[in-house]
Amino acid sequence: MTAPHHTKPPQGTALPLHRALMRIWGSDPRFRGWFTTTNNNDIGALFLIVATGFFLIGGVLAMLIRAQLATPDSAFMEPQVYNQIFTMHGTVMMFLFAIPFFEALSMLMLPGMLGSRDMAFPRLGAYGLWVYIFGGSAVIIAMLMGLAPDGGWFMYPPLSSGAFSPGIGADVWLLGITSIEVSAIATAIEVIVTVLRYRAAGMSLSRMPIFAWFILVVSVMILTAFPPMILGSLLLEVERAFDWPFFQVENGGDPLLWQHLFWLFGHPEVYIIFLPAAGMIATILPVMARTNLLGYGWVVAAAISLAVMSFGLWVHHMFTTGIPHLGLAFFSAASTLVAVPTSVMLFSWIGTLWKGRVRMELPMLWIMGFFATFVIGGLTGVMLAVVPFNWQVHDTHFVVAHLHYVLIGGYVFPMIAAIYYFLPLLTGSTRFFKLGEVAFWLVVPAFHITFLAVHMAGLLGQRRRTWTYDAGQGWETLNLVASIASFVMAIGFALIVLDVAVNTFVAVRGRRNPWGAGTLEWAAAIPSPAYGFASIPIVRGRYPLQDDPDLALRIARGEGYLGDVRRNQRETLIVSTAQGTPAQVAVLPGNSVLPFLLAVVTSASFLAPLFDAYRVAGLALIGVLALSLYWAWGLGSRHDVGPVDAGHGAMLPLASESTQPPGWWGVLFLLLADGVHFGSLLFGYAFLWTVAPNWPPPSYLPPELWNMSLAVAGGLSLVAGSRLALRAITRGRASWPGIGLGLVGAVAMVAAAASVMLDRPDPAGHAYDATLWLLAGHVAFHAGLTIIMLCYLAARVAAGYTSPRRSGEARIVGLWAEFTALTGIMALGAAWLPGAFQ
Amino acid sequence: MNEMLRLSAAMTVWLIGFSGTYGLQALACSRHWPADVAARPVLITVCAVVVGLQVLILVGALFSPSRSRHLQRITVALAATGVVAAVWTLLPVVALSICL
Repeated sequence: MTAPHHTKPPQGTALPLHRALMRIWGSDPRFRGWFTTTNNNDIGALFLIVATGFFLIGGVLAMLIRAQLATPDSAFMEPQVYNQIFTMHGTVMMFLFAIPFFEALSMLMLPGMLGSRDMAFPRLGAYGLWVYIFGGSAVIIAMLMGLAPDGGWFMYPPLSSGAFSPGIGADVWLLGITSIEVSAIATAIEVIVTVLRYRAAGMSLSRMPIFAWFILVVSVMILTAFPPMILGSLLLEVERAFDWPFFQVENGGDPLLWQHLFWLFGHPEVYIIFLPAAGMIATILPVMARTNLLGYGWVVAAAISLAVMSFGLWVHHMFTTGIPHLGLAFFSAASTLVAVPTSVMLFSWIGTLWKGRVRMELPMLWIMGFFATFVIGGLTGVMLAVVPFNWQVHDTHFVVAHLHYVLIGGYVFPMIAAIYYFLPLLTGSTRFFKLGEVAFWLVVPAFHITFLAVHMAGLLGQRRRTWTYDAGQGWETLNLVASIASFVMAIGFALIVLDVAVNTFVAVRGRRNPWGAGTLEWAAAIPSPAYGFASIPIVRGRYPLQDDPDLALRIARGEGYLGDVRRNQRETLIVSTAQGTPAQVAVLPGNSVLPFLLAVVTSASFLAPLFDAYRVAGLALIGVLALSLYWAWGLGSRHDVGPVDAGHGAMLPLASESTQPPGWWGVLFLLLADGVHFGSLLFGYAFLWTVAPNWPPPSYLPPELWNMSLAVAGGLSLVAGSRLALRAITRGRASWPGIGLGLVGAVAMVAAAASVMLDRPDPAGHAYDATLWLLAGHVAFHAGLTIIMLCYLAARVAAGYTSPRRSGEARIVGLWAEFTALTGIMALGAAWLPGAFQ
Repeated sequence: MNEMLRLSAAMTVWLIGFSGTYGLQALACSRHWPADVAARPVLITVCAVVVGLQVLILVGALFSPSRSRHLQRITVALAATGVVAAVWTLLPVVALSICL
């Protein structure tokens, strides 16, 4: 890498470069451009607007709840309506607002912070957005039609089972939320690959902006926390639709299995929500204190340890389910332990304030609101970790107050700080109207009045989720105070939305980097153009703009990497993971309507079963497959390009001609999520086998030599075939023997899985049989997809899309095939294992 | 990628050890556990192995330096956290009733 600092730049190159880049990177300005754009600025803005809309809907639902609870014996709402309202409030805020909102900010900010021109998979980002919009809208429309779920946002069976929740309300929740989780997983994969590979030249891991660390950790958490929830939703939906008895005690199921799967997701979810906010605080607070973050490394370590520990806490939501004392003690100890990394972060931020000179601008005000609120929420969390206290307040309004302290104090307040902090970057304007300050002084005091009163009502015994209460229990004043203050808080939130909207459209044009921040996103023009950076920056420290105040100008003149636009394609830099050394040139796809169309058919496949339209769902799945193949077919090239000039004397290979292209990384992390899903399935099986009351089943499936041999031989053939095919492609030889062997292996695995289903033809008879069908279904699904992928690879080879240089697709197929073989043999082994010892 | 794996190893091992010990405790209280095998010594042995593994990871982190001094410090901090987390969260096996 050569240093550009001492070379005299040609004058007047910035504007022509800007115009050329806008021609390459710009979105379609017509109306259809909304459906074809893949640019991170557009996708992020749409995400942000839609998530804010859902926040407003969730807020209105909250006001309805508080109106109902303001007085005893209230007739404002029927209990059936109240059940729907509180269920939807939790669902909307947790699934439709909190996660998409930080994903939106990540999409908007991350490329700028990292020095990249866009996210790693722009079309995947667009696909995630549209799936989210369709899934979320379906849930809201169902509510408006009176078909909303009413079993609480954690949907415990048997209340949510077909017997006690007839109708489609629970199905709306299960299918709608699962589709939104698909969207979150798509975004998480995109974020991880972006953070690990799409950075500025010289940006090693230790020079990454602190927010990138947080969002990397959170994205890995999404990949590992959401799959248990997706599995739980699948089990419950299959039980409701086909009567497979996973949660029915009389047929070998256990409702506690749902609680385990839900909270394996649900507790990390709290940290998935908190950690991006913590990342924003760690980004904004040092700038407001006019210094650098104290203890950067400690904060990174705290974020990683907090993330992992959050997966060891799930049972503390189940302290009243009759778990033995030792189990309670494990999770009580783990729950107290998370206070330590959280405190490390808090003390780092306090220390940063201490060493700096704080300016009390609006973002800083909201961070002060965070401190005052989150610490209280954290302390009540430690109280709830203590088992005897937890038993006393379980399912009371104390828990409601605690989670609002953590989620509003720990997430909403920092996110408002982030919006105000990044507003100049997003809009190009300087805030002119000062409604934000008024809103702050409405929201924060009103929040504390509301939820301190709710804490007290909980301590006095008021149960959550009861639609009303009798007079004379000492709760009247507390509830009335909480309701009045909550309306004041709602007015404050409305003022914030108004303030942001007015300042976006009316305020005067601002200057670049108004806060004097040191991170790269402020080096871009404001508002950030579609291409982000005119050239990829070269950084030598954690705060590039502090180290080099002229960096923004040099970037605009095209003096970084890829400042030459003559190849006329959307190029950005890929670096080595640890050191940030330039490694490849990625060519990103252009605008396309494919992500929108794929989202339409994906959402149709999820939502059609709500109306028993299984044929439509089947057709939609075929549509998903066809569009996915069409999407993939449009990528790649029929000829080798070789290394290209990336600037500064660097000749770099195209990503599509490297051994580990971005798609390979994406599939690797997809398989991480898939592996956790499979692990959750094995956990559920082991759980039922160990503790479900009506086990053992009448008989276990006896293993037979022929089908076990078929499975093992199939798995080995699959692995050997995919490796042979890859080797043949990289050596320029015929790949069909390898592809053929792989196909034989995949078919053998499908046959082995089918033999399990044929041996136990009634999955509705016992939870054991239902579990066998799931295990066999996992194998058949993955082996079936492998068959499609191998056929696709054969077609690509025949069409000339592969060469010794262009072997990435074969590597991706190989990765998938090896995963299929490994988990397939494990799944079938698990199915036959109990029978072997019978 | 190796750097990322080094960073996350200690806490991941803690999570596996912690969840595995909880699973073993559930198994010890189930109908599948042999009546003539005392659960507590088995549990204590497993916990000792988990703590031992965490200590090994810490020693490994201390004596196998990374290319980045900064990442090395974070790796050591996380390995030390893994030791503390394992001891603190698994300590109940020595004192509390197992299946009550």
